[in-house]
Amino acid sequence: MSGAVGREAVFPTRQSLGLMKSKLKGAEIGHSLLKRKSEALTKRFREITRRIDEAKQKMGRVMQIAAFSLAEVSYAVGGDIGYQIQESAKQARFRVRAKHENVSGVFLPQFESYTQEGVNDFGLTGLGKGGQQIQRCRETYARAVETLVELASLQTAFLILDEVIKVVNRRVNAIEHVIIPRTENTIKYINSELDELDREEFYRLKKVSNKKQRDVAAADAEILAAREKAAAQQATNPEKNSTVQVEEETTDVLGEQEDNDVIF
Amino acid sequence: MEGLFFNVNGGYVEGIVRGYRNSLLSGQNYSNLAQCETIDDVKLQLAPAYGDFLASLPPNPSTSDLAGRMTDKLVSEFRYLIAQATGSSAKFLEYMTYGYMIDNIALLITGTLHERDTRELLERCHPLGWFETLPVLCVATNIEELYNSVLIETPLAAYFKDSLSHQDLDELNIEIVRNTLYKNYLEDFYNFINTHPDFSGTPTQDIMAEILQFEADRRSINITLNSFGTELSKLERRKLYPEFGKLYPEGSLMLSRAEDVEGVALAVSAVADYKAFFDSVGLSQGGGMGGMGGGPADGKSLEDLFYQKEMDMSKLVFTRQFTPAVVYAWMKLKEQEIRNVTWISECIAQNQKERIGNFISVF
Repeated sequence: MSGAVGREAVFPTRQSLGLMKSKLKGAEIGHSLLKRKSEALTKRFREITRRIDEAKQKMGRVMQIAAFSLAEVSYAVGGDIGYQIQESAKQARFRVRAKHENVSGVFLPQFESYTQEGVNDFGLTGLGKGGQQIQRCRETYARAVETLVELASLQTAFLILDEVIKVVNRRVNAIEHVIIPRTENTIKYINSELDELDREEFYRLKKVSNKKQRDVAAADAEILAAREKAAAQQATNPEKNSTVQVEEETTDVLGEQEDNDVIF
Repeated sequence: MEGLFFNVNGGYVEGIVRGYRNSLLSGQNYSNLAQCETIDDVKLQLAPAYGDFLASLPPNPSTSDLAGRMTDKLVSEFRYLIAQATGSSAKFLEYMTYGYMIDNIALLITGTLHERDTRELLERCHPLGWFETLPVLCVATNIEELYNSVLIETPLAAYFKDSLSHQDLDELNIEIVRNTLYKNYLEDFYNFINTHPDFSGTPTQDIMAEILQFEADRRSINITLNSFGTELSKLERRKLYPEFGKLYPEGSLMLSRAEDVEGVALAVSAVADYKAFFDSVGLSQGGGMGGMGGGPADGKSLEDLFYQKEMDMSKLVFTRQFTPAVVYAWMKLKEQEIRNVTWISECIAQNQKERIGNFISVF
């Protein structure tokens, strides 16, 4: 898994390690928040699904009653009143207003139905006969439309929530399965690179000190050889050697080699 | 005495109608219909009575199609009768169509008021209310032209002339116009059968006076009940009551003053029949508006009882002879039959079998 997600293209420095660490922390917080949001939405979603089911069944019943009351009207009036009613209706009595509801950051439209009292365009239809049936039919249909409006707001909420839940879940999964592993990988990579650098540095230092030791040893050997040579010369030409010895003494006073015994 | 020469002119028509009467659906037919599972079964059950008219319907027709075909049959039979009738009988049959004409003209007025193409409305007009000059009314584009052509072209001119002006058509609710016309029509019809020399003193006068009085009372009561809670004022309401009938004048006056159902029940309490209706639907005890739905235990509404009464009266008409009133009675019975079948097929189509018995079977 971690192999597939790769890592981010960063220079393995301590600064970017700090950045990555804070990023990982942020991702984890975001993940838990989104997870909670998704759960809240899902809860709501289930509730809406249940209510849609109820509303649909209610709609079935109500529509049936309404259609039947229309049959009652046609029985009582004995004719077609459709045209007259269509023509005499001028203003909507049954109105719908929309408002928003905020469910964990998602705006769900809610339709609310209300009747405009006083608008009664065909109140006189069926005055001669069947008026009561017509009024009752109208009331039944008003109830049916009410159910339809309720169902409409639920359905809209259903669609929107569905979409939002998908998006949120996608984000949750993306964070969980891509961003966090990748950041972790990057951190691991930076750590390993830094360790590697540390080791290289150590090795280098070791090499340097080795080399220094070697150099010192070589210098010592050289000095020793030179001294032996000088001692041999002194033995053959002591006068000359004394003056050299004095010169040498002035130059080599801070030398590392231990002072030779000055023999006069 | 009136029976002596009636058959010279009216015998054939009466005979035909009595034949038609026999094809009306009986209680047995209705109980068969009520057992049907689909509209096709209904169609099959209706085949003996309606035969050719239903044959061309597609399988499982809609209830409105079914009702339309049944109405077609009624119309064609009635047209045959009116073609055969002569003299005062023909006039009587014409009077019967005026009621439908009023509906058609109200439809056209509605269309003209809303500036629709009224030609499309011609199809929606009731075929019984069709008269030759009806399409002429479609020429009118505004309400004043329409008013003038109605006055010139239609048999209903008399009903318009005295009580409605063209401004009224514009301003008044179409239902008020319609009911005003209907009131005038009923009064005119009543006057016609009482004063026409061929009818006064004959069984026609007896029968039709009773039926028309009932019709007038029914309209008054319905208008009153239906006007509660609307903008119709008491004064306007009073103008819509026909000025005859068992309730006229005292009952009408009380109706015009009634403010609720109790008031109506009080107003009609002078007439035993109506009082019985109100008692049986429980309106007079201050119950709610009884209706087909949430009303009384036996499921009958006031409208149902009125229809029932109308059917009983129509049925009794066939016990009389030498009168064109049987045509009227037959037509009412037939209309009720169409309504019954529509109701039954609606119940079947909508799977509401428990209410299927709510029709009025006469024979």
